[in-house]
Amino acid sequence: MAIFRQPQSGQELQDQVAQLYIETREDVYRYLLTLGVHPPKAQEAVQEVFLRLYTSLKKGEKIESLRGWVFRVAHNYGLKVRARQSVEEKFDPAFETHLASPAVSAERDLLDREKMTRLNSAVESLSEQQKRVLFLRMEGLRYPQIASTLGISASAVGEFLRRALLRLRKVRDE
Amino acid sequence: MSSLFQRHCDRDLVGYLDGELSERSRLKVERHLDSCGQCRAELEELQNSLAECARYRDVLVAQAPQAPQPWRDLYRDFSRIDESLANTSLLVRLMRPLVHSGVPRWAFVAGLAALIVLFSLNQLRQAPSVQAAALLRKAVAVSQSQPRPAHRIRVRSSRQPEFTRLAGAQAALVEVAQAQAVAALFQEAHWDWNDPLSAHAFEQWRDAQVHKTDEVAAVQDPQAPSEHFTRIRTVSAEGEVEAASITLETGDYVPVSERLEFRDREWVELSEIAEPSMESAGTSGVAPVDVPARAAEPPSRPAAFSPGSSASISDELQVLSALSAIEADLGDPVDVSLIGGKVVVTGEEGIPPRRQNEIRASVANLPHVEVEFSPSHPAAVPSQTAVAAGAAGSATVSPMEARLEQHLGGHAEFDRFSTQLLDLDDAAMQRVYALRRLAQKFSPDDEAQLGSPDLNLLRELSRKHTAKLSEKVGSMERILVPTLSSLGGTVSIHPASGHAAWQPAAEDVYRSAHRVDVLISQMLGVTPANASSSALPSDLMAALEELRVNLDDCRKALR
Repeated sequence: MAIFRQPQSGQELQDQVAQLYIETREDVYRYLLTLGVHPPKAQEAVQEVFLRLYTSLKKGEKIESLRGWVFRVAHNYGLKVRARQSVEEKFDPAFETHLASPAVSAERDLLDREKMTRLNSAVESLSEQQKRVLFLRMEGLRYPQIASTLGISASAVGEFLRRALLRLRKVRDE
Repeated sequence: MSSLFQRHCDRDLVGYLDGELSERSRLKVERHLDSCGQCRAELEELQNSLAECARYRDVLVAQAPQAPQPWRDLYRDFSRIDESLANTSLLVRLMRPLVHSGVPRWAFVAGLAALIVLFSLNQLRQAPSVQAAALLRKAVAVSQSQPRPAHRIRVRSSRQPEFTRLAGAQAALVEVAQAQAVAALFQEAHWDWNDPLSAHAFEQWRDAQVHKTDEVAAVQDPQAPSEHFTRIRTVSAEGEVEAASITLETGDYVPVSERLEFRDREWVELSEIAEPSMESAGTSGVAPVDVPARAAEPPSRPAAFSPGSSASISDELQVLSALSAIEADLGDPVDVSLIGGKVVVTGEEGIPPRRQNEIRASVANLPHVEVEFSPSHPAAVPSQTAVAAGAAGSATVSPMEARLEQHLGGHAEFDRFSTQLLDLDDAAMQRVYALRRLAQKFSPDDEAQLGSPDLNLLRELSRKHTAKLSEKVGSMERILVPTLSSLGGTVSIHPASGHAAWQPAAEDVYRSAHRVDVLISQMLGVTPANASSSALPSDLMAALEELRVNLDDCRKALR
């Protein structure tokens, strides 16, 4: 993502945030689902996050990486939303059912499907923090951005990621 | 190769692949790779793992459920934000050059005076529209954080006879003739007819008006003159609707009435019908709508052991037990009730299909059971009471949160602490709700009618919940008590209640667990605290102690 340039006009700022919203909203939405937030709440949260982004920029706040900022705010917001879901179950995207659906079997061979199912259960077995680091890495965030999202150091990000990958490999080879 | 060096390289390899190393570290790794076959193999393995993760992400992307609604166009919200920032930023913008340019003091004072006049004029000119926008924004936030179930509104208009209809998020309606005429009017005016009497619909319409003026006024409640409402009236220069006003309850922004005046002099008034009239449509002129019968707890149940083909509470108990075996009594939005001689298991369609099948299968062999999954309905979402104020709130850190972070040694520690605690609290509350549900369904009188196998089954179920709950509470105490003590919390003793029956004891468990739940959310900054944060550690310790005592009472009564 390009380094953010302070836009010249109000219209330019609106366009820039709207553009980022279009490019990023699905990724942020999906990340919130992986945190266990239910789809309608997740979607609401995404929209709210981009409005906050606009407000912050409009107030003249300097933000280095917009994508990083969006994920960080979404992460914190998502945890709060999830905590309010207390009585409900955490949202479970029911990965295996989807994988086993006929639409997917047409595209993927059996072996691949099995592999993905195993990988999914391996991901499920990661610690909460390892999982978050991995998902944010898969969303293309750089280590410093992941670090500020999760409130840990950049070297800890590398370490969590390394442990996550080792664990995935171990489960895969079992 | 020393094992120490091996580990070092290992650690850097992921960062190397991700291009996250400093120039120096990168060169070091490259040099090492040249000479170490083991690390080259390791690098390849990591590459494979990362590639697999990328494929896994593709699958996730393809399979993740779509966003349930079309994505909102943010431009309208942008304008609203601009509007509400306008006042302050005008002052700040105008002040800045004066403060920094070293103009003489008298000029500065005079300038400031002029600015204040200018600012006040600007305030006067903008105030109603800013106020209207802010009020609507709040009302929308409240309605989103506490979604209302389908509710009934009265519709009066200049041309059609009066009628009532259901309105709400998912009220799929069959409209009667007079409603169709009004619906057409609303559609032409681009006014949401599904939930017309709502801050959201009003806001949507208002945002679309380019040339508009607003008025905001306090008005009296005609039924109770001491009560006040807030009314927003917006007049638009273009479009089908010439003017619209919405009246909101002053405290919680719930809309009570609305009036639309169309350009051709037609008008429509919508008003809320007081809550308890959620009865099925009857003579109201609207076809009945399937409002899911979730809230219909068991008011009518046939006597136990009624002979023949009708379900008894014994059958209900069997169903509850079967659901409990697959833990569908924990957290799944599933309800069981005895209606019309059947045990009806209702769940929401939002439950994943795999889970729906498990639920169906678990009760498939039991007599007189019906399972149905209905479209989810918003009333089932949060059971929290203290959500509203902070719903769209800022990400500021509460004083308690800050103290905790400091005590635990940083944000990462706090994050881990709160995740662990919230997970435990979730699990505990699920047990509490399940236990309470049993206690409410099977009163001591009902129990007296159960045969001994059924009675044992019921007690067994309840004991399972109390035992699991006790584990969770124990874990929470282990995590919380040391931390709370060091934050100044003190222990208090709570007397046992000595309930002979387990049902009232379960109700006590529910009350104290709910208090713990609320206090934990406040401590972690999830919900805003209303008390001072200094009392929180002791309050939470007292609540935990009370929960422990009540739980022990309940377990004794269940023996």
